[in-house]
Amino acid sequence: MHSSSKILNRVVGRWSLVVGLCVLLFSSCRTDEVVYPTIGTHVTDQVGTGGLYILCEGNMGSNKARLDYMNLRTGDYYTNWYGAQNPTQLKELGDVGNDVQQYGGRLYAVINCSHKVEVMDLRARHIGQIDIPNCRYLAFHGDKLYVSAYVGSVASPDLLGAVYEIDTASLQITREVRVGHQPDELQVVEDRLYVCNSGGYLTDRYDSTVSVIDLGSFTELRKIPVGLNPTRLRVDRQQRMWVCCQGDYKQRKPEVVVLENEQVVHHMEMPCANIAIHGGTAAILNGEDKELVLYATADYSEQARWSLAGYEHPYGLLLTDEGVYLTDAKNYVSSGVLHCYRYDGQEQWHTLTGDIPGHLCHVTGEYELHGDTAQQDTATHSPYITRVYEYLPGMGQFVNVLPKYEEGDDREAMCRKCEAAIAGNAGGVVSLGGWGGYITFGFDHAVQNGEGRDLQILGNAYRMTGSEIYGSSEPGIVLVSRDDNRNGLPDDTWYELKGCLYADPETRHDYSRTYTRAGDTLQNPFHQQPYYPQWLTEDSYTLRGALLPTQTETINGQVVQRILDYGYADNRPNTDTPGTSFDLSWAIDANGNPISLPYVDFVRVYTAVDETHSPIGELSTEITGAVDLGVGR
Amino acid sequence: MRIKGYILAGLLCVCVTGMHAQDVAVPDTADTRHREMDEVTITARALEKDVIVPQTLKAEELERLNALSVADALRYFSGVQLKDYGGVGGIKTINVRSMGSQHTAVYYNGVQLGNAQNGQVDLGRFSLDNMEEIQLYNGQKSDIFQSAREFGAAGNVYLTTRKPYFRKGEKVHAHGQMRFGSFGLANPNVGADVRLTDGLSLTMDAEYVHAHGRYPFRYRRVLPTGETAYDTTAIRQNGDVNAVRTELGLHHYYSTTGFWRLHGYNYWSERGIPGAIVNNVWRNGERLRDRNSFVQGQWQDRWRNRWQTRVLVKYANDYTHYWNYDDKLLPADNEYLQQEVYLSLANQVTITKWWDVSVAYDYQYNSLARENLLLVESQKTASLKVESPERYYRHSHWLSAATAINVKDYLRMQASVLMTAVNNKGQSDQVPSTKDKPKFTPGVFFSLRPFAHSSIRSLYDLSLNAFYKQSYRYPTFNDLYYTDMGNANLRPELARQHSVELAYRVESQKSKVESRVGYDRSASGVGNACGYDRSASGVGNACGYELSVSAAYYYNRVTDKIIAYPKGQQFRWTMLNLGEVKINGVDAKADLSLYLPLQFVLRTRLNYTYQTAIDVTNPSDTYYRHQIPYIPRHSGSAVVGLEWTSRRGDHYGLNYSFIYVGERYSQQENTVYNYVQPWYTHDMSLYGEWALSSQPSGASEHSEKRQPVWLKANIEINNLLGQDYEVIQNYPMPKQNVRCTVAVRY
Repeated sequence: MHSSSKILNRVVGRWSLVVGLCVLLFSSCRTDEVVYPTIGTHVTDQVGTGGLYILCEGNMGSNKARLDYMNLRTGDYYTNWYGAQNPTQLKELGDVGNDVQQYGGRLYAVINCSHKVEVMDLRARHIGQIDIPNCRYLAFHGDKLYVSAYVGSVASPDLLGAVYEIDTASLQITREVRVGHQPDELQVVEDRLYVCNSGGYLTDRYDSTVSVIDLGSFTELRKIPVGLNPTRLRVDRQQRMWVCCQGDYKQRKPEVVVLENEQVVHHMEMPCANIAIHGGTAAILNGEDKELVLYATADYSEQARWSLAGYEHPYGLLLTDEGVYLTDAKNYVSSGVLHCYRYDGQEQWHTLTGDIPGHLCHVTGEYELHGDTAQQDTATHSPYITRVYEYLPGMGQFVNVLPKYEEGDDREAMCRKCEAAIAGNAGGVVSLGGWGGYITFGFDHAVQNGEGRDLQILGNAYRMTGSEIYGSSEPGIVLVSRDDNRNGLPDDTWYELKGCLYADPETRHDYSRTYTRAGDTLQNPFHQQPYYPQWLTEDSYTLRGALLPTQTETINGQVVQRILDYGYADNRPNTDTPGTSFDLSWAIDANGNPISLPYVDFVRVYTAVDETHSPIGELSTEITGAVDLGVGR
Repeated sequence: MRIKGYILAGLLCVCVTGMHAQDVAVPDTADTRHREMDEVTITARALEKDVIVPQTLKAEELERLNALSVADALRYFSGVQLKDYGGVGGIKTINVRSMGSQHTAVYYNGVQLGNAQNGQVDLGRFSLDNMEEIQLYNGQKSDIFQSAREFGAAGNVYLTTRKPYFRKGEKVHAHGQMRFGSFGLANPNVGADVRLTDGLSLTMDAEYVHAHGRYPFRYRRVLPTGETAYDTTAIRQNGDVNAVRTELGLHHYYSTTGFWRLHGYNYWSERGIPGAIVNNVWRNGERLRDRNSFVQGQWQDRWRNRWQTRVLVKYANDYTHYWNYDDKLLPADNEYLQQEVYLSLANQVTITKWWDVSVAYDYQYNSLARENLLLVESQKTASLKVESPERYYRHSHWLSAATAINVKDYLRMQASVLMTAVNNKGQSDQVPSTKDKPKFTPGVFFSLRPFAHSSIRSLYDLSLNAFYKQSYRYPTFNDLYYTDMGNANLRPELARQHSVELAYRVESQKSKVESRVGYDRSASGVGNACGYDRSASGVGNACGYELSVSAAYYYNRVTDKIIAYPKGQQFRWTMLNLGEVKINGVDAKADLSLYLPLQFVLRTRLNYTYQTAIDVTNPSDTYYRHQIPYIPRHSGSAVVGLEWTSRRGDHYGLNYSFIYVGERYSQQENTVYNYVQPWYTHDMSLYGEWALSSQPSGASEHSEKRQPVWLKANIEINNLLGQDYEVIQNYPMPKQNVRCTVAVRY
């Protein structure tokens, strides 16, 4: 993989003189802005069900609202998940995320300073957006979505806020009703909508009511007085409403008021920065004393009190069947932390998030995160890799990183990490390192040699902007094998799939390299980890195979490769399906004679070039997945 | 890639060198070398007193540079980072050596410009048309004869407006100028200098700036595969500005040692605040109207070469009206009125030929009244008692003592100590007063010049300069009292600076020319690092060069940094003394002037700054030891200008400048999500200046002669390659833009 080149060194080619001058003077030039990346991290082996979306607010004006995703089934955390699903969204998710909720098969996110509600499928793929000025929170009922907003569609002289009703099918606003000042959280109970009027912008003149709206006529029936500055409103299973009132931050203390049948039935004087209710438990986050207090909703009795003394600013809160999720917003302008606890208070894991992880949403139900459920033949076979059998990279700058080696990992553990990266449709990256490094993988079935191309292997090759023939090509040779001895292991005869350079006079078919631990001296300042596979117990290993002639050239100061015609992995962009696909009929034996394979059980790819270029480092084949094109054909 | 870069750069150098043969100007020495004696003396003495020479841009250079405002010009200084929100009306502030913009003091004709509300001076508002000189001093002006307050800031920018110069028999100078440009820029300027008596003169200057401020900007991102993810071009909205500046000055040089002057300034503007471009938001509704007025006076005299006194007085009255009726936001409508009264008394005694001592005392009164007009309106409607505006007051006292020792020019040393006492008071009881103990801050400066008296001094000069200085930045009214964010318990922020500089200057031949008359725009302009107002001879076809190079290393530490910190509930913030920054930097600069045959002059000016400014507040922060926001590691500028003077004295010039600001981060954490790309702009300008009425040749300098009328035309192209860039994230800057100026001077 080109290290810096893929992100940093996409030089503006036209102005070579200028580029030359600034390379000389300052060594760093402006390049194409690449979309913000998504970074996956394996956080925990204590897995659960479903997934967790984390809406990070981002500081106002920074346009850094970020939707992260924690796959609770695998324990993997993905930053900027929305960005990965929707890279073409103009100016990303937006400015200041304020709420995220699942309703039916969709995910809704309020982006406050972008004045919109983002509508997505459960994989966070954009479906549409609803423009609502200064929108704050969400509630659902039937086929309607309700959104509180600090301003109405027509400016109100008395600065009253509004609640909008939106048809979830058409995503059109259907009705609007005026409520009190700066309405925040809202809930539907039976046929009535309740919204708390905070008056949060009116210092010294805070509001102190909950508006009751009749859903039939969509009019405000009355206002229930609660405490000063109510911001949060949640409903427990007895249909009682818990309202968090922030007070005036001076004399008037914050309090929690509980309403039943629109009457105040309970009152607790305590700070309540956030609240979550799940089953018979209400958790109240006391931000001032940094405590989380769990109450039984039935009788308001205190069940537990956890100290959050280690938190800088406890902020987001969610209860699920499996545990308690709490976030620390730190100083509001740097990465927050997401913690997961069991109900006994034991911390399970924690991980870094985006800026101000304020809003959490546990996504459950039938949804397939990896792969498109509509198209695949899931009943029988997965078209994707299910198993990685072997992984032995050549020494290289991404070895021990893609995938990440951790103390104690062995060959087997590294294979599992490769699976986490590229099995299914995970879309992660495995680097095969320098020449000869290889990976062997298979599917939950044998790949049939059908008509045309049978197998697509995905990499991270790309074309240089504006060029058809140059780009980043780090070709790997593909080998296939049948499990002839029926032991389920890739220890049978390998056959090369003949690529376009097989017969090239410069291709060396008898090449070998020996990598030694002692030879692992730091070469590339961008990557300072050991380059020798750290899980190997032996101090050297030798790889054998074919070496392809170099295709590297320097064009406009950019180190690029001539893209090969066909027959190699990580040579053409993934969008070029024919160019990244292989026909099992190309298989040849050791003597170069075609061999007919009706099916194969194992696929192996190895880096087929042995080149290092400054400043990009060595060329190394990367694999990001594979697809059996025969499934569902 | 790297090798190719060198080759290309080499090619560029060849191109640039090959270009000389076009047009150049040589200082015209046949003209006016003489100015009123008293001023020459004063200026010369002041220069001699400077231990460490500042970075300077003089009027002639300012005219050549592609710069509309003082902020644009300051980009050409090393160690300076400009924060620019884009467009003619966008806020522009500077940050010297990474210590934060509020550590930089800006002086207008010797008196500090204040903004007690937020501590920031928008340098985009100061026009270059009336400017004689801009200087940047790191640490402080190392002349001990200064007001006490001038010892107080970490970085100092001095703006000096045009002073009147008259040759014998001259009574009036006048100039008129019209500038047009992109974004609907229309910018007329007129001014006149009138000599009332021999010593008394009057200067007048007025300027109007209009711009609609609409410009296209582009956001584009690509996928890792190189395919376009999105690519959109939109028009910047709500960036219009209308401003009127008028100035009036009265100068009286009543003896060879003393003068007084009075300066009145009035600036009125109304502008839109274009705001951040974020997803789904392409325009912003904030507006600002303001008026800044001040009157300042200075009196200065010297007795028996032993005692000097300077008195400064100032009254300033600033009104700001901010409103936002964007229908997507809650409306806001606030008025602010600030007043300032300033008095300064500075004295210097020359004890022996090599030893000076000075004492100065300054007092300043600030007040701020803030009124929420919406609240007033609602109270009136509801027939409630209308609350009077919130008011805050500040009394500040500065007392300084300083001493300077000069060992035969080989070694010069200065030491100063400043006592600062600042008391803040709010009108109501709810607003707590602050009463800090007086703070003492020292400063030590020295300069070693081994060739000060050697015979080669006039051709070579080498100096080693160093200083150590402490300074405080006091919390502003916003820091102390802002509704949500205020915290009256703030301590001032402390900056400690250590700096070492080596400067070297060489010229091809001894060619000392007397100081030129300021109104003669052909005078040599490149401020050389040794500070001598000496320009190489450009007479006839003489060839020569001047080169000055210098490099400075500095280490600064800012502690008790005042930062906004969340209070814990909702989005409520407070200001805390929480922050510590360690700054290491190198500033390098080189100026070269080549006097070529046929009256061509090639001038180059190179600046490079390397800075690491890391946050060392708390090892458990995710951003511990990360570079602080918006400070690039690398930045620099290059200016190349070719000038030519015809036999009849017409000037032509072609100027190219390149500004580079390296990669930065928009927030504390240096992650890929906060990464901001480098930006660099190429600017070109072409100008010509013609004498409309010919001068009698060979006329004696002291005889009366007819003044020539000069016509000048200038065309500037900025951001020549139309780079889409942002200085501050989400504030897009203009692409290629043009300005044309035509001026007549008499």
